[in-house]
Amino acid sequence: MRRLLLPFFLTAFAAHAQVPTPAAPQATPVLLLGGTLHTGTGQVIENAAVAFDKGRLVYAGPRAGFSQTAGYTVRDVSGQHVYPGLILPNTTLGISEVESIRATVDDQEVGALNPNVRSVIAYNTDSDVIPTVRLNGVLLAQSTPRGGLLSGQSSVVQLDAWNWQDALVKADDGLHLTWPQQVVRLNPAEDAAALTRRQEARTTQLRELEGLLSEAGAYRQQPAGRKENLRLSSMGGLFDGSKTLYIHADYGKELIESVRFARRLGVQKVALVGARDAWMVLDFLKQNDVAVVLSRVHALPRRDGDDYDQPYKLPAQLQAAGVRYCLDYQGSQETSGARNLAFIAGTAVTYGLTKEQALTAITLSSARILGIDKDYGSLESGKSATLVVSKGDLLDMRTNAVTAAYIDGRSIALESKQTYLDRKFRCKYGIE
Amino acid sequence: MLTTFGTFALRRRVLVLALLGLGAAQPSWAQPGTYPRNGVYDQRPGLYAFTHATIQTDYQTKLTDATLLIKEGKVVAVGPSATVKIPAGAVVQDLTGQYIYPGLVDIFTSYGVPEVKAPERRGRRDAGPQFESQKAGAYDWNQAIHPEVNAAELFKTNAEQAAAYRKLGFGAVLTQQPDGIMRGTAALVSLNTGRKENEVILLDKAASSLSFDKGSSPQDYPGSLMGSIALLRQSYLDAEWNARNPRREQNLSLQALTQQRPLPALFEVRDKQSALRADRVGDETGVQYIIKSRGDEYQRLPELKATGATFVVPVNFPDAYQVEDIYDAQRIALEDMQHWEQAPANAARLRQAGIAFCLTAADLKDKTKFWPNLRKAARYGLSEQDILRALTDTPARLLRAQNQVGSLRPGLEANFLVCSRPLLAEDNVLLDNWVQGERYQLSTLPADYRGVYTLQLVTADKALKDQARINADMRLLIQGSKPEAPELRIVPAAGDTVRGTISVSAELATLVYNPKDKVKGKAAPRPSASGKTADEGATRLSGYYNAETKTFAGDGLLAQGLSAPGIPITWTARRLDEASRQARLDTAKAPKPLALGPVTYPMGAYGLKAAPKLEAVLIKNATVWTSEKAGKLEGTDVLLSGGKIQKIGKNLTAPAGARTIDGTGKHLTPGIIDEHSHLAISEGVNEGTQAVTSEVRIGDVIDPEDVGVYRDLAGGVVAAQLLHGSANPIGGQSALIKMRWGATGQEMKIANAPGFIKFALGENVKQSNWGELNVLRFPQTRMGVEQVFVDAFTRAKEYEKSWQAYDKLSKKAQAKVEAPRRDLELDALVEILHDTRHITCHSYVQSEINMLLNVSDRMGFKVNTFTHILEGYKVADKMKAHGTNASTFSDWWAYKNEVRDAIPYNAAIMHHVGLNVAINSDDAEMSRRLNQEAAKSVKYGGLSETEALALVTINPARMLHLDDRMGSLKEGKDADVVLWTDNPLSIYAKAEYTFVDGREYFSLQQDQQLRQQIQQERQRLVQAMLGARKAGVATQPATAKTVGLWHCDTLGQIAE
Repeated sequence: MRRLLLPFFLTAFAAHAQVPTPAAPQATPVLLLGGTLHTGTGQVIENAAVAFDKGRLVYAGPRAGFSQTAGYTVRDVSGQHVYPGLILPNTTLGISEVESIRATVDDQEVGALNPNVRSVIAYNTDSDVIPTVRLNGVLLAQSTPRGGLLSGQSSVVQLDAWNWQDALVKADDGLHLTWPQQVVRLNPAEDAAALTRRQEARTTQLRELEGLLSEAGAYRQQPAGRKENLRLSSMGGLFDGSKTLYIHADYGKELIESVRFARRLGVQKVALVGARDAWMVLDFLKQNDVAVVLSRVHALPRRDGDDYDQPYKLPAQLQAAGVRYCLDYQGSQETSGARNLAFIAGTAVTYGLTKEQALTAITLSSARILGIDKDYGSLESGKSATLVVSKGDLLDMRTNAVTAAYIDGRSIALESKQTYLDRKFRCKYGIE
Repeated sequence: MLTTFGTFALRRRVLVLALLGLGAAQPSWAQPGTYPRNGVYDQRPGLYAFTHATIQTDYQTKLTDATLLIKEGKVVAVGPSATVKIPAGAVVQDLTGQYIYPGLVDIFTSYGVPEVKAPERRGRRDAGPQFESQKAGAYDWNQAIHPEVNAAELFKTNAEQAAAYRKLGFGAVLTQQPDGIMRGTAALVSLNTGRKENEVILLDKAASSLSFDKGSSPQDYPGSLMGSIALLRQSYLDAEWNARNPRREQNLSLQALTQQRPLPALFEVRDKQSALRADRVGDETGVQYIIKSRGDEYQRLPELKATGATFVVPVNFPDAYQVEDIYDAQRIALEDMQHWEQAPANAARLRQAGIAFCLTAADLKDKTKFWPNLRKAARYGLSEQDILRALTDTPARLLRAQNQVGSLRPGLEANFLVCSRPLLAEDNVLLDNWVQGERYQLSTLPADYRGVYTLQLVTADKALKDQARINADMRLLIQGSKPEAPELRIVPAAGDTVRGTISVSAELATLVYNPKDKVKGKAAPRPSASGKTADEGATRLSGYYNAETKTFAGDGLLAQGLSAPGIPITWTARRLDEASRQARLDTAKAPKPLALGPVTYPMGAYGLKAAPKLEAVLIKNATVWTSEKAGKLEGTDVLLSGGKIQKIGKNLTAPAGARTIDGTGKHLTPGIIDEHSHLAISEGVNEGTQAVTSEVRIGDVIDPEDVGVYRDLAGGVVAAQLLHGSANPIGGQSALIKMRWGATGQEMKIANAPGFIKFALGENVKQSNWGELNVLRFPQTRMGVEQVFVDAFTRAKEYEKSWQAYDKLSKKAQAKVEAPRRDLELDALVEILHDTRHITCHSYVQSEINMLLNVSDRMGFKVNTFTHILEGYKVADKMKAHGTNASTFSDWWAYKNEVRDAIPYNAAIMHHVGLNVAINSDDAEMSRRLNQEAAKSVKYGGLSETEALALVTINPARMLHLDDRMGSLKEGKDADVVLWTDNPLSIYAKAEYTFVDGREYFSLQQDQQLRQQIQQERQRLVQAMLGARKAGVATQPATAKTVGLWHCDTLGQIAE
């Protein structure tokens, strides 16, 4: 920061030169009046009232159905839209700051089997990136480790906090398994022996994994006083349904294979992450009731011959097939780019979803898959007042303009390092 | 049968001894005249006459009942048997019924030359740099340029390799050391292993050899295909300079290059595109290359024909893929499946197109497929004459050795083949391969016993006769597709057939069969008590064949049960001629009719059968975003005609023949121009091995087959600047292209576009993120980056001065002084100084932006565009003062240290300060959504919607100096337009039509058709492959195409 050189900006914007101060708990009841309410459940209510107190929604419905205004701080949001806070599943937000600087990256532990490592303790609430993501309506995230076979455990956090304890919404919600890719010949010159060697290496990996899972399943039956094993005990929740096994896989056959593998070994809750070839196995996903955390929609088709819009229309294909799914933003620049989460839902609309279905795919569906839908993901009375107000359609960059955001009823500062720099240099050039 | 002479047998034995290294004496003409002999001189005449053969004296002349006379390894006479006088003392072979062909010539081998093992290539991030050549001595600076390598000096006869080639019918080959870019000279050698190299080498320095592949050279440069091309160009220039100024530098490599300029030049390439690239280098340097290609030439016939080159084509056809699994089959690229079908037709297509070619056994891993593949090629339309020509006359002429090999005329080497049948006949057997008058026996004609026989078993013992229950009228069938692998069937009674085995060696026969092994029919043997067929054991017959009586006869033992003693018998089997002939006819297969799929441009998914047609199109009643002062026009019509925007207005009427598109509720915009793209580039986006590589040109390596081009069209993108990467301060020259999907790389270039070049600053240039090993190349800091620019432009100015001084001299005076050395690197910098080449500079932080502006002021050049320019908002005023353009990302940041201060408001701030601003992609995925990226500047920074669209239309056109013809909807400009289903800045908009030059290159409707065609073509090929596999052809596992993408910082020749 060049504060010393620019004392004027120091005084004018010093409050914003840092990550904004986390908002205090909701002190007074708030009533948003006149906006178009998108509940996240598929409902759209024009001229709505949204009332919340102590962080909880008291009412979310037609304005006519809520007459009480006494004690409420009333905000007129007519002409604007009210949405549930967007949820970003499967992200390294907060545990990876600058991709090319190793010192700022904490998303991948060394070794193949790390079921016991936990992302949340590395989650940095003071990341410069987080405030920029909030500005476009993303208020919750599943902070997720990467790499190896068993990458570790994710946690769900809210994006306005003093520290990671403060940020926690759901600790250690699931384990992440990077499914070994099926072996396919990629080079016409590769001979049969080399292909077999690669196949055998994969088989070995899968056997190791199977061994670990079977032992973990048995380990939890051991009587008290058992010798502690961090790896085995960290996996216990997979077998009683308290933790989800998130399997990261893309290719059609891998999706079938990995889900059957996990189920066979007694894993109760399985979700697929990535699943870029889910269109190949829609019926399997439906029949087996597998949830899908779908890889970033703004992607290139996997194969030259695929439809140019295959990644764009995949959400609509899943929707039509009746598969449970939500959208993530994994890939290059996934933390800084996550502010575009709403827009990948927008693209899914262009290629077949309705707007409300697309909204559900980044709110309520995500909450359900992450197991936080009791409190988050939709705007219904009793649930957390985690919501976004936008001047226009949130899913379209042309109209997305967030004017207010609340997490558990707390009014979030819509500032970031970037808005600060914007103002600083507009000021320099005398731009409005 | 051949008449075998004692001398042959003797000499073969001698040969064997010699090969065993026992040093036995060889016939005299097997040793050069200059060599002294140990022992008695064994001088033989080597005089042979081959009579009454059908002789193909050259590819187009066939003599029946002809005689070939050879002496001392050369042809003496060839002609009708009646006219060729056989001198006394000749060894005569009567070849009645047999065929003689000239020995074949393979122009692409490395026979007898030591192999150079390429070191395992590691990525540059995993290996330290090597700037200089490791080859000691007065040679070229670059280790991949070694024209001084001379195959004749390295060549040693090699019995095993020679035998392998001879077995295929070759008598002489061109051999070279296939390593590096300028590989050296090749030698024409015979495949005789009985003589010293001195006589086996028919032509020393028969050709020079080149490629784009640096091979075993571990030196960094060139690190890309465009680098290889630039290096070739510069090497030719350096050789000329060296020849003009011989005392300036002793450079043995350049001297060798100059010396070999008159030789035929053989250029090996990886594919048809590089064939075109090689030919262009040849055109520039005045060399017509002979091009050794990969067998995919049918995919670009008209352009390859225009090269005028002769091609050396392998007969290497891919095996069918295993496509049983619907998932795995989907991973195989359509073009790979198509190539399986089309590859055997390649040579025939060259022939039909009138392109000269040689055939080669090169690239064929399994050499036993050579003849089957030649026959396959023949089935697709090559005649025997074509094939013979491509293996004899054409290579001989290319090497200017037609007076040595390639035909049978007096004075030529006695290289010829003796065949049992015409060359390409399925059952032809290559009997002998004579090389320089030396006989190499390949195989003997296998006796063919296949046919129908009556079998009689006779037992002398009357008591056993009844017990044996021998049927008097048994049949014996000898079958099989090959005479050397006969299969036995016994028909003990009508309707029953039993399988057995037969082997016949030197007329001695052994037959075994078990009545239990039925092929069809009821049980031949007696049923046992249980009703099941009892195993009586195998009957064995031994004997011999009498050719005169066409009868087998011998003794046998008739089995009577597994433990019972057998019944001794005698047996005969007499051949039935008529039935045999009939059986042969029945099994002869009718050739399958050939139906090939279409050739599309490119092959594979979304390929087009022809370029979209130029048409007149009237788009009615659309919202027209002009990107001109007129702004947005509601309810307006636009007429495209002759590739231009003909008219913009209300209520236009469609001219005759024009197509009308209803634009009601839709939006028409100028086609999107991506100012920063790395799509459609072959084998390397970064040279980057040196700090300055302004000599390399993306225009040399455009890859028109990148499906990203089609996908960009689907996103409304019509043109792009293809930029060199950002690995070094002064990168390479850009190519400005239009998305003319299906065209060649050259055709995609925008005609008369100004020159551009990539510069770069910051982390990539100073190798900040390249790992611990890459800390040696200058510069490693921003301080050094400045010095690179100052140094480069200082050199460029001095260079220009020296040329100006030289050019001022009279011709006479010029002859007396040393001409400056032409330097392609500095040429490009001089163009920048003259403002005929424009800089697009990759840049991030303010200090370096100011630095380059400062250097440009000092050195007297202009910075046309800062690209990326994520801190442009900090120095927009300075950029404005310099008239610099800015091309940036909408919202990228935080991916490396130098982009921590990047903000999405950057474009808007720069725009408000008055800069010409564009939004670019630098990314194949984002490129097809540039309209959305532009829209973000409405959100971040409050641009108006028309200002936002200008960021991807007229503004980039302006910074690319193309705004006189592109970038806006204006009468007279190129008809590059997009019709959107919605407001083009909305996430809900799809490009419905994309026109380039007034041609419909994309539409949603056409896309649906192409998808359907892809599915049909895949299904057709899958069924064909399944059928082929069932029929027993070799197959290979499904092989996925690796889909690679280039990024600014991708190093090496493999996309990430």
